[in-house]
Amino acid sequence: MPMLNAKPTLKSTLIALLYLAPLLLIVGVFTLWPLITTFLMSGYTHYNYFTNHVGGLGMVNFQFLWHDPDFHLALRNTLFFVIGVVPATVFLALGAALLLNRLPQLATFFRTVYFLPFVTSTVAISLVWNWLFHRDNGLLNALLRTHVDWLNDPHYALGALIIVCIWQNLGFNIILFLAGLNHLDPRYQAAANLDGASTWQRLTNVTWPLLTPMTVLITVNAIITNFKVFNQIYALFHGTAGPANADITLMYYLYQKFYVENQYPVAAACGVVLFGLILLITGLAALYFHRHAWWRGGQRG
Amino acid sequence: MKRLRQFLLLGLGLLTVSTLTACAQSHATTTKPVTITFWHGMTDQHQVTLNHLISQFNHSQTRYKVVASGQGNFANLQQKITAAAKSQTLPTIAQTAYTNVPTYVQGGFVTPLTPYLKTSDLKDVYPVFLDSASYRGKTYAFPFSKSARVLFYNRKLLAQTGLRIPKTWSELAQDGEKVQVQGLTGVAFDQSFMSELDDLIQQTGTPLVSDKLKVNANSQSALRATHVITDMLNAKTATTAGTDGYGSTQFFAGKTLFYCGSSAAIPIVQASAPKGLKWGTAPLPSYRGRHATSIAGNDLVLFKSASTAQRKVAAAFMKFMLAKPQTTYWAQKTGYLPLTKAAQKDANYQHYLAQHPTAKAANQSLPFGFQDVAFLGYPQYLVALSQATDKMASQHQSPKKAMGTLQTQTEKIIQQNR
Repeated sequence: MPMLNAKPTLKSTLIALLYLAPLLLIVGVFTLWPLITTFLMSGYTHYNYFTNHVGGLGMVNFQFLWHDPDFHLALRNTLFFVIGVVPATVFLALGAALLLNRLPQLATFFRTVYFLPFVTSTVAISLVWNWLFHRDNGLLNALLRTHVDWLNDPHYALGALIIVCIWQNLGFNIILFLAGLNHLDPRYQAAANLDGASTWQRLTNVTWPLLTPMTVLITVNAIITNFKVFNQIYALFHGTAGPANADITLMYYLYQKFYVENQYPVAAACGVVLFGLILLITGLAALYFHRHAWWRGGQRG
Repeated sequence: MKRLRQFLLLGLGLLTVSTLTACAQSHATTTKPVTITFWHGMTDQHQVTLNHLISQFNHSQTRYKVVASGQGNFANLQQKITAAAKSQTLPTIAQTAYTNVPTYVQGGFVTPLTPYLKTSDLKDVYPVFLDSASYRGKTYAFPFSKSARVLFYNRKLLAQTGLRIPKTWSELAQDGEKVQVQGLTGVAFDQSFMSELDDLIQQTGTPLVSDKLKVNANSQSALRATHVITDMLNAKTATTAGTDGYGSTQFFAGKTLFYCGSSAAIPIVQASAPKGLKWGTAPLPSYRGRHATSIAGNDLVLFKSASTAQRKVAAAFMKFMLAKPQTTYWAQKTGYLPLTKAAQKDANYQHYLAQHPTAKAANQSLPFGFQDVAFLGYPQYLVALSQATDKMASQHQSPKKAMGTLQTQTEKIIQQNR
């Protein structure tokens, strides 16, 4: 393969750019340009969205967010929601994947069952959960023998959303963990067996550390996805952010400011905050896993 | 000589053919209809009715053509209008709430109807619909699909409990208390009770937001009016629909005496009410001796991007829709209010009302119907109002606190948008 070893020249770089052009164009138009526009718009003051008249630049929109109790609530709810969903999703998905890995005969069936929520429309899922959570006729209250108004009581509404999202996220993450488990070298397990390690010891000292790269991927992906939760809320609470805004998240706040209240620069500022927050927390999560040097599965041996 | 005659005949023939062709061509150019596009949020049966009327209009003449395009529900329609205004791909006309007009005027993409639609064209329209059509002295909105809040009642439960249709809000509250011991609920509201609150505060004589944009959310009289509903909710003689969306779901279960809902819901209630449920409608009760019913719904607006010819077609279409046969047909098929007095008095429509008594309540509410004043920032105010009612319903926040917050928020919104 002489081409692979060839030194890059201006011509070869231009050819490579030509090949990349379609994708770069799409990313440029649909990702980078909106991103730049959002950053700019978040600084506009006295802005007329339709005529593009910009009164000036400043931090007014961020100051608005700083003083808006609804934004504080959205921020609190989002953080609480992510903390509620991400660890639970990761551990439940790992548990389910480990169990499925031990049932090779039924694995395909269960894999399909767990994966179905991921490929089903979020709106349809939310409507079904809407019935399950119903105070009077819901299955959940019938099973638990309770009379909780899951979706209309502000004390339970965020919990209900967390339950739905954990359940919905599970399938995809199980598949990822299963893929990770199938790629583990069986010789490590065999060696641990020879050393007389118990099942629990094998899990904590062999399997779990070896799965770390996959866990990082799943955690980071789950953080990003769940910070942007919107569809489930919109469908579960009949187009609102739950009783007394109990389920308002940053994404819902952004939607409301943009589409309902016509406060476009405020929505843009919220988008910038959300972007920064996701970047920060994803970075911290990646750093945490790096620091703990759990990458024994491959590179660091 | 013979040759000359043949030559002349040929010349005459050619002249005739070319003249005829020219005539045909010129006829073709003059008859090419001016097309206008119309975005709406009508779905299901309402869309069928609208398409029927548009088709009637298109067939009534050859010069104009209306091409309608359903954009899904109203939320989708609003989003499409926002996106199209930004990308300058707006249709000629669209259905929207008149309360969006101030935003559209500020955005500079809506144009007044006045040059194309004369005051005399609208003289028969009920004043309550016209009040909201103007913004800063110019007519921008053409009333189109309008509804009123009405009181649905369960006939069987009323007979069983020996109660009659309440004439006042205090009677309604007392009825709720009377039937509570029997395991019945007095009244069901939709997800938010903001329309009923708006009505009650209007009935105190001072609207929530006055024409001069003075906010009246936490005055003593407004708080007393708010207590009428919150006291019922706290005593559990009334409920809000929550994630059911509409109080009709609970009303259908047959254990609720009354439901405060929109007259636009009548066809839906007719279609989905359980078979055994016998129900009727009445105008909303009065408060402190006054009647006031909020009129909701949508209007038509004309966009600036339309050509002069298209604007004239839009006006012609609006006038067509205001004519007695169309207004009557529209009202009968959709349950929306008839917009003109002529349609209201029409023998055909009166006959329809006699056969469909549930449609009467909304019509009876017309003399005391009112619409909120439109102002820049109204959508923000509506969110604030919705949040205030939601906090009172789900968190049992006191009217003093919730309406106090609403007062501050609304004053701030108005101030910022001046």
